[in-house]
Amino acid sequence: MATAEPLLEIRALCKRFPARAGREHPPWVIRDLTFSVAEREFLTIVGPSGAGKSTLLNMLAQIETASGGEVRFQSQPIALDDPKALSPGLACRIGYVTQEDNLLPWRTMLQNVLFPLAVQGRLTPETRARAETLIRTVGLAGFEHHYPHELSGGMRKRAALIRTLVYDPPVILMDEPFGALDAQTRTQLQQDLHQLWIGGRKTIVFVTHDIAEAIALGDRTLVLSPPPAHVAGEHVIDIPHPRDIRAIMTHPAFAGLYERIRAQVH
Amino acid sequence: MTALGEGRSRDPADLRWSQAASTLRARGDQVIVLIVLIAIWQTASLALGVYWVGSPWGVASRVAAGAFSGDLLRHAAYTALEAAAGFALGALPAAALPFALRRFPIATAIIDPFMVGGYGAPKLALAPLFILWFGIGIESKIALVAITVFFIVYFSALAGVRALDAKLVQMAQVAGAHERQVVRHIVLPGAVPYIFTGLRIAMPYSIGGAVIAELISSNRGLGYLVQLGAMNFDTTGVLAALTAVTLIVFVGNWSVNAAERRLLRWRPPADLRLQAGT
Repeated sequence: MATAEPLLEIRALCKRFPARAGREHPPWVIRDLTFSVAEREFLTIVGPSGAGKSTLLNMLAQIETASGGEVRFQSQPIALDDPKALSPGLACRIGYVTQEDNLLPWRTMLQNVLFPLAVQGRLTPETRARAETLIRTVGLAGFEHHYPHELSGGMRKRAALIRTLVYDPPVILMDEPFGALDAQTRTQLQQDLHQLWIGGRKTIVFVTHDIAEAIALGDRTLVLSPPPAHVAGEHVIDIPHPRDIRAIMTHPAFAGLYERIRAQVH
Repeated sequence: MTALGEGRSRDPADLRWSQAASTLRARGDQVIVLIVLIAIWQTASLALGVYWVGSPWGVASRVAAGAFSGDLLRHAAYTALEAAAGFALGALPAAALPFALRRFPIATAIIDPFMVGGYGAPKLALAPLFILWFGIGIESKIALVAITVFFIVYFSALAGVRALDAKLVQMAQVAGAHERQVVRHIVLPGAVPYIFTGLRIAMPYSIGGAVIAELISSNRGLGYLVQLGAMNFDTTGVLAALTAVTLIVFVGNWSVNAAERRLLRWRPPADLRLQAGT
């Protein structure tokens, strides 16, 4: 599956942040990172905190420059060296669900979900209906006219998630989107995401520090080394879809995968 | 889905009750403070005589008489007009400028010392100059109010633009928003609370500026009434005019707060109350 025509290719990607005046050059955050993502693949990436996982996604989302290397989307190289040449979201082809929900506090939940469609000029009865379906799917029906401060953390995460799903970008990057949630809500959202992915089969790059989550959701899991980050291991998760996330730990393949991945995460 | 039940646990009816109760309590305490202040005023008036300090009752009846005859109302309306016109003329460009300069940090940095100088300079000292330039009519008063309001609102709008959450901008850009949409949907709404802080501070200054300009040279307005009262050794008249000034400040303040409440419905209520200072 992963060997099919790659949708996204990352070759020898490097990153270090610019030096501040009077200090020596900061160390590399990412060094010679190479991997590819196949179309319709759910790729999970685990790594220790500070391994540059968010930085990697920021570069793929084109909100941050790279210090070297190459990224290709559908075989087309992406300019990553000049901040002025960056095109955030690559013309709406790469969606990004960040760690924080980043909902606009002055917009209601529904207005937040419709925001990408509104700025892209794609608000039609069909897209609105799609938004309503997604809102119902993740259990937010009835909260359309609530402002973000009136929603719980889990509800805000859901709203942020479907805000990206609603405009249907071919690739979606996710940066520990369920990080700060309680276990119950987290499992529920994982199940929701899995269901949505089964239904739509997007290409998803999902970053997490939780190995169980990486196994539960992924087709394939990459392990990043401590900084400077490079790929320390690759694991194909051969658990058939659709999966029952709640019971994933009881799957015979789980324990072995968990052990092998854990051994590589430092 | 199962996680639906995690809304707010506080009963909204309960919350509204306790809020209403605390508002009522605050209002009651405010009335007590008002009574104490009037008592002090009355004592001063009794001790020094109405010649030096007009009594509260005398001032109240003078205000009422002036209101009924329309005399006081006419002067008050004139002052309010100056203040409102100057307020709009100063606040609008002041609020717009930081947005226009958002993409040009160098321009903002170049004008910064001049803005700081303008902010710090005693604008009231400009009143004689403005009267020289614009005459003793309404124009010089509007100019003075506008320049007073301008610097206050400029710095609060600038703070609002600078407090912008870069993550929200990135989110919007990834979602496909262009620069103009970013300004309209992210920068502007985020800066509105800051702009209102500036407007609320500038509001009494606008009325004060108008009154001071009238004090220096005018034949209309509440400042003129103050001046006239002082020349005639009529402290009751002076205090009546000042009472009218205070009432205008209250109305102005209330208008700013009402506009803010309307525009900032999205804020958590506690936040809003803190901002409004009530």
